[in-house]
Amino acid sequence: MHSSMLRNFVLRLVSLSLLSLGFAHTSGAAMISTQQLVQSEARDASLTRVDAILARDDVARQLVAFGVDPQAVQLRVGNMTDTELLALEGKLDKQVAGGSAVGIIGAVFLVLIILEVVGITDIFKKV
Amino acid sequence: MVDSSKRAAHASALFVLWFLAGCSTIPPAVSNYGAAPSSLELVDTPFYSQQQFQCGPAALMTVLTASGVATTLDAVSRQVFLPARQGSLQSEMLAASRAAERVPYVLAPKLSSITAELATGRPVLVLQNLGVSWAPRWHYAVVVGADAENGTIILRSGTDARRVMRTAVFLRTWKRSNFWAISILRPGELPADPDRGRYIEAVAGLEQTGHVQAAREAWQAGLQQWPNDAVLLFGMANAEYALGNFSAAERLFLAMLRNDEAPLIARNNLAMTLAAQGRNEDALKEIDAALNLATDPMLVDELLDTQSIILSARTGASN
Repeated sequence: MHSSMLRNFVLRLVSLSLLSLGFAHTSGAAMISTQQLVQSEARDASLTRVDAILARDDVARQLVAFGVDPQAVQLRVGNMTDTELLALEGKLDKQVAGGSAVGIIGAVFLVLIILEVVGITDIFKKV
Repeated sequence: MVDSSKRAAHASALFVLWFLAGCSTIPPAVSNYGAAPSSLELVDTPFYSQQQFQCGPAALMTVLTASGVATTLDAVSRQVFLPARQGSLQSEMLAASRAAERVPYVLAPKLSSITAELATGRPVLVLQNLGVSWAPRWHYAVVVGADAENGTIILRSGTDARRVMRTAVFLRTWKRSNFWAISILRPGELPADPDRGRYIEAVAGLEQTGHVQAAREAWQAGLQQWPNDAVLLFGMANAEYALGNFSAAERLFLAMLRNDEAPLIARNNLAMTLAAQGRNEDALKEIDAALNLATDPMLVDELLDTQSIILSARTGASN
């Protein structure tokens, strides 16, 4: 089987399965999106529609694993661009999340302050 | 000795406040940094006090409401709050803005782009790191004003309806997020200090996620600013196609192709547009012309894909 045929076959298969989940594509199957034009101008050929469609599915599953209501997930991933989906895929735990508390580092800081108060360190002294 | 323990006590008091304050907190003192902006304050900007860790939803709710979107804090939270991370991701802030049919425009990384937006009446959503790089405290807030005389920035921040922050401190905390800031544009509104690449990226995102009518208005506004720009024409034509306005799409693709440097993929979309009007022979001629010139294997794939779609449509039509 020719590789581009295989690619198209996989693309169609995945598109169909996603469409059945309620996803809608922006334009016709063979219309090239403006985002793709911009990427081709930037010579960024690393992104294919197949990758993005698969990433959408992955990110949706990961969001649910991170506590997002399954009913809200479709809306959330459906409004992300291909580039955003690929950047998020597998990295939900590493992305900046505004609102996060300070974890273990806070305890380290507290230790530093205690050390300072009892006179063991002088780390807060202005030099 | 007295001096140093006083200093330590001061530091620990600051730290305890910092630790307890959730999303909103007292940033570390910093030295003078950056130039003072001009003075103005958008006093009518609404305020939504955040729940714990929910500075993302509260800040987004503020700028969406200021942009005329009718929504609720609950609904916004359902779109951007990530429970396991106790926070909100930047890409989800952008995605939720698109869901509200708005253009999330990422500002150029300078204070003047914020003050320019304020001057047009739009508050600006920013990401700050109120901690330090090794103990980050990521926080979303909304800039609503700048006071040049006192050297301060005014924000809706966390549970603080009017937080006044020294400009130098603001810049230091904003810098740690690589100066991430977005302005929420109504489709058809241009940023105060428009940057072509940033604008195209914002609108292409709207198009790609299916907000075609909004994208169409935004491309149109972009063409006022950058007339005959190939990418904007392409975007506008794609939007017309998606809305079923095939003859308008055809005119735009042809306008674009009048320029010899126009990208070949415009011919692919022109072919689809012709086929959509039942003009399969004309469409196949465009594909042949493009195939004669195409060298990029991915583009050749796309063109062959389009060709087979048109050929099967032609077979279907003749049966």
